[in-house]
Amino acid sequence: MPNSDDFRVGRIQKMLLEMAKGNFFYSLEPSDKNDNIASLVVLLNMVSEEIRAAFIHQGFTNAHNTPQCIIQLSLLMDSKGIIEMVTSGSCSLLSILPKEIIGKNITDLMTKASQEVWSKKMVKHLKKDRSELVLFLEFITNDGFLLAKDCQISVYQALDGSGQKILLNSVFFSKGEPFETGLPKKKLKVTKGIKEHKVTLTPEDIQIIRDVHDMIINNLERDLPKLNDLARQMGTNEYKLKYGFKQLYGTTIFRFLIKERLRKARTLIQHSTLTIKQVIQMTGFKSKTHFSRAFKDKYGMPPTDLRP
Amino acid sequence: MKRTHENNYAIYLMADDLIHIIYKKVPYIDLKAAQVIVKDRMQLQEGREMPVLCDIREVRNINKAARDYFALEGSLWVQKLAFLIDPPVTDMISSIYLDTHAQKVPTRSFTKKKEALAYLGIDETGDD
Repeated sequence: MPNSDDFRVGRIQKMLLEMAKGNFFYSLEPSDKNDNIASLVVLLNMVSEEIRAAFIHQGFTNAHNTPQCIIQLSLLMDSKGIIEMVTSGSCSLLSILPKEIIGKNITDLMTKASQEVWSKKMVKHLKKDRSELVLFLEFITNDGFLLAKDCQISVYQALDGSGQKILLNSVFFSKGEPFETGLPKKKLKVTKGIKEHKVTLTPEDIQIIRDVHDMIINNLERDLPKLNDLARQMGTNEYKLKYGFKQLYGTTIFRFLIKERLRKARTLIQHSTLTIKQVIQMTGFKSKTHFSRAFKDKYGMPPTDLRP
Repeated sequence: MKRTHENNYAIYLMADDLIHIIYKKVPYIDLKAAQVIVKDRMQLQEGREMPVLCDIREVRNINKAARDYFALEGSLWVQKLAFLIDPPVTDMISSIYLDTHAQKVPTRSFTKKKEALAYLGIDETGDD
């Protein structure tokens, strides 16, 4: 009975076990119900999402010692969506055997909502010889978990003349073996840094740095105080603040401030009738030249292009 | 002045001193949905900062990208925010949202509309 409480609790237990193993990419299908079990499912899904995000984020700040690997979902289909080939990674993600999945229609693995999206979009794309698109799809695993991901889908012509084929790919981050030592570690880093600054952060330090983060977000229009003043004001020192922030958020305080200001400016330009000049004032930028250049660097277009 | 507006995800009821947003029953709210919801609200407000009453009682699934968007971009021009919830599910959703995102806007959750309105500083009753 898929709707009985025992069944639903069983699902929650399974999901927790997967999380214990370090698999944060599953989720549970939310129900229409409004009871305690449904609220636990919602909680579990959201917690798993938060952990997943923190996990990937860690990879950016500390790429040289964070274990991470990529599990790939990869399926090859004919033009009707009948599965012809799967990678073993896909089978274990979907907890299904290759012989059970080959010959099946891809839509059999999807939720109703995704089936609709798939049939609507693919009709259009199969009319072309080749095309590529990204679709957000939800698959249901054999264990009843939901696997929701943006999937890259390519339609192409087979070389042997057997017609159109569809290739579906997606990546999942998971906890796994650390990168081999032979890999060029420095190249994996997202942020620049000539020297490694390691700071040991206590829970109190981390809380202070989080507060600084929140303070910046909530005061984008104001000038940032000097780092040593800010550090003193928050009860820490400049060194800890500077390198601790970078360690936690993977970017410097200044870059973070600019990034968030630009984000706010973009929303205001898109959705309000404020003049660009007003937006610049409201987001704390000192000059129009600086704003325009930073905006173009980040979004690849001048701010005025966002205006209809 | 009273205006209403509707998109795929929500119904907006706008009075002089309040925006009341009622979320519809949809399978999930993702980033795209969040962007539409915020865009429409901002266009209705035309630059005026206002208190917002957000009726999320029908919401069952909202992903992280959407939550993050609501917390940052989605807080523009919101003076004060009250969620109208129906425990336990939407209670859980609003609690996680409030606990994991730094709030610029003062926000609280209520099960009774009257209390939510009182929190927002509006004490007319029977008005929707």
